[in-house]
Amino acid sequence: MSDFAIDIRNVVKRYEEHVAVRDLSLQVPRGSVYGLLGPNGAGKTTTIRMILDIILPDSGTISLFGQPNTAAGVLNRVGYLPEERGLYKKMQVRRVLAFLAELKGVAPKEASRRIDEWLERFSLTGEKNWGDAKVDELSRGMQQKVQFIAALLHDPDLVILDEPFSGLDPINAQALKDAVVDLKRRNKTVIFSTHIMDNAERMCDSVCIIARGEKVLDGTVAGVKQSAGARNIALAVASGTHNGITPVLRDTQLVQKVDDNNNYFELELAPNADAQLLLRRLMETGANIERFELMQPSLHQIFLQRVGATGVEAGMSGHG
Amino acid sequence: MDKILIVAKREYLERVRSRWFIVITLAVPALMATVFAVMILIAARSSASTNVRHIRILDASATSLGDRISQNLMADSAAANDPIKPVVQQVNVADLPGLQERATADVAAKGSTLVGYLVLTDSTLRGQTFYYAGRNASSVADIERLRTAVRQSVSIVRLQREGLTDSVVSAFNNMPLKMRSERITDAGRGGSGQAGMIAGMVVGVLLFMSIIIHGQNVLRGVLEEKSSRVAEVVISSIKPESLLAGKVLGVGAVGLTQQAAWIAISAYLSQFILPVIMKNVGPVGSAATAASASAAGSPVAGALGSMTLPVIGVAFVFFLVGFTFYAALYAAAGSMVNSEQEAQQAAVPVMLLIMSAWLMVNPVMINPNSKLAVVMSWLPWSSPIIMPMRMGLTSVPPMHVAGSILVAIVGCVGAVWLSARIYRVGMLMYGKKPTFAEVAKWIRYA
Repeated sequence: MSDFAIDIRNVVKRYEEHVAVRDLSLQVPRGSVYGLLGPNGAGKTTTIRMILDIILPDSGTISLFGQPNTAAGVLNRVGYLPEERGLYKKMQVRRVLAFLAELKGVAPKEASRRIDEWLERFSLTGEKNWGDAKVDELSRGMQQKVQFIAALLHDPDLVILDEPFSGLDPINAQALKDAVVDLKRRNKTVIFSTHIMDNAERMCDSVCIIARGEKVLDGTVAGVKQSAGARNIALAVASGTHNGITPVLRDTQLVQKVDDNNNYFELELAPNADAQLLLRRLMETGANIERFELMQPSLHQIFLQRVGATGVEAGMSGHG
Repeated sequence: MDKILIVAKREYLERVRSRWFIVITLAVPALMATVFAVMILIAARSSASTNVRHIRILDASATSLGDRISQNLMADSAAANDPIKPVVQQVNVADLPGLQERATADVAAKGSTLVGYLVLTDSTLRGQTFYYAGRNASSVADIERLRTAVRQSVSIVRLQREGLTDSVVSAFNNMPLKMRSERITDAGRGGSGQAGMIAGMVVGVLLFMSIIIHGQNVLRGVLEEKSSRVAEVVISSIKPESLLAGKVLGVGAVGLTQQAAWIAISAYLSQFILPVIMKNVGPVGSAATAASASAAGSPVAGALGSMTLPVIGVAFVFFLVGFTFYAALYAAAGSMVNSEQEAQQAAVPVMLLIMSAWLMVNPVMINPNSKLAVVMSWLPWSSPIIMPMRMGLTSVPPMHVAGSILVAIVGCVGAVWLSARIYRVGMLMYGKKPTFAEVAKWIRYA
């Protein structure tokens, strides 16, 4: 029994004009929440589609729970929320859900029971039972919920969410986060792709950043940040007292990069510079320092630093 | 396999439950019955067009031939409510050119009720020539009617000349000769020629209509799955090939359900329509009456009843194969495009293929053993329509039927294989419509 929910080895997918995925290897531990990060066009959706055996890789292997992803029944343990949402518009909500659950091997009776449960849980029953309505009578938000239910109805061990936050209002986004936490508590594996780093940082145990179809880095969130080094400083100065600090911040012996937000600065120390020396120099200017914190870089910064402005290849406008 | 059935079940239930299915299932037999009835009524009317009475008969034969013809033309029972009689003029041969000139002018005059004029001479009496000019000279039914009237009248006049009495002549003349026809096949005598023709026609039309209607349904279903993006979720649970198979199976079952309903409804409706037809036309022919009497008064059911069981079995097999063939191609067309308009364009090649079979229906009816008919009953895209028709019309060696089914199955497998490859790539390909070169690439890649 493999410890990995997903084990991708040396996968390559070429299209006519470009290489979508280039020799990608990544392992997703069981029971973890895993973020697949990358700019648009990095190859996220292509990777996800290959995991789900929707498209075939040109070379390389993909295993789910220690079995090849083409093995019979293994995909029944996977739930999928695609980036492009869609359901049968003219069909009753219950019937759509039952159909999709049956395709995953759930018996009709059992599916019906679970549908009641989930509709209740996502408050789609209330005054009107939306389960009996046709899909196109539902609001966009409700359709999102139904789509999410469809991904979870068969109680999958692995849930794949492609850009789950795109198009969600804050309330539904929160509901989604709660659901992911709940899945994690029940020892399910969740993998989601996003380009919103804040969500990833808050939710993921591990991440993999890909760009131009290649892995840039991967590992646990803590590990990734650790290896990026604690070279960042959060600096807050009371307003009206930072006239003198500019020359200090411009000293390239001390500071390599400044993200100036007027009263709040995010600094990157120059190589070999001493943070304590910087603090002393700042205090000498007479500035009223409210915060001076040595911190790990955010995923956002690591992402920008590693992927950079060149991460998005020109002309690659397809899906992640 | 389980998953294919789940997809088929969804396709079947969602379609059978839809309002459109119910409307079409009920409306088509009603419409067909109406068209059928109207056609028979028109046929009855037009075969006894009263135009032939609105004529002038210039009789230069110096006998009662003109009056005889006039009586003959008036003897049509179906047109008894038109009181107009042909005007008979006894004339001299020498005056004919002038009289013809005048008659021509009278026919051509604006608002004239005169339709044409008939010229009878000695030559007519000798059984050689007569002349007719009129507005309806291109109406086959009218000309045939005139020819028959003249022929019969000439016989009578000549018999009288030979000394037969009037009563003998009219006894000869009055014989309502009815013809009974039977078809001979390798298996011996069986069924009437006309019943076979109706059966062949019914089978051909049913297959053609089902393939068109439900093939288009497959196309629309595929397009809906693609444009609503539900395809991606479904394909994450089931192979595209299986989704395609389930869809074709489900829609095919809908087609069979609809046909069963159509046959049942038209059998029921014909109880009411047949008496109306009978009253207006009288017995159309022994075949139709015999067939309808044998099968609860239904021309359709009667025609089907007159078909031997193997023909029905073969028609069923051909429906399955033919439908699968076209449904797969329609599905491929649907998977290539993104909108209804594009879908219509993409379906044109499929449509052309099926029309090439449909255009052959008439020629095959006229001569079911022509080289063309034989070839068309072997080609996989036309055999499902043409072969069952030919079986109804003529006797086809069983080995030929088996061979043609085999060829059709091979063609079907090829079409499904091709379509599955296009479908697999096309379902997830959004954006502009692919060119033929691109589709060819999909087939090679998939």
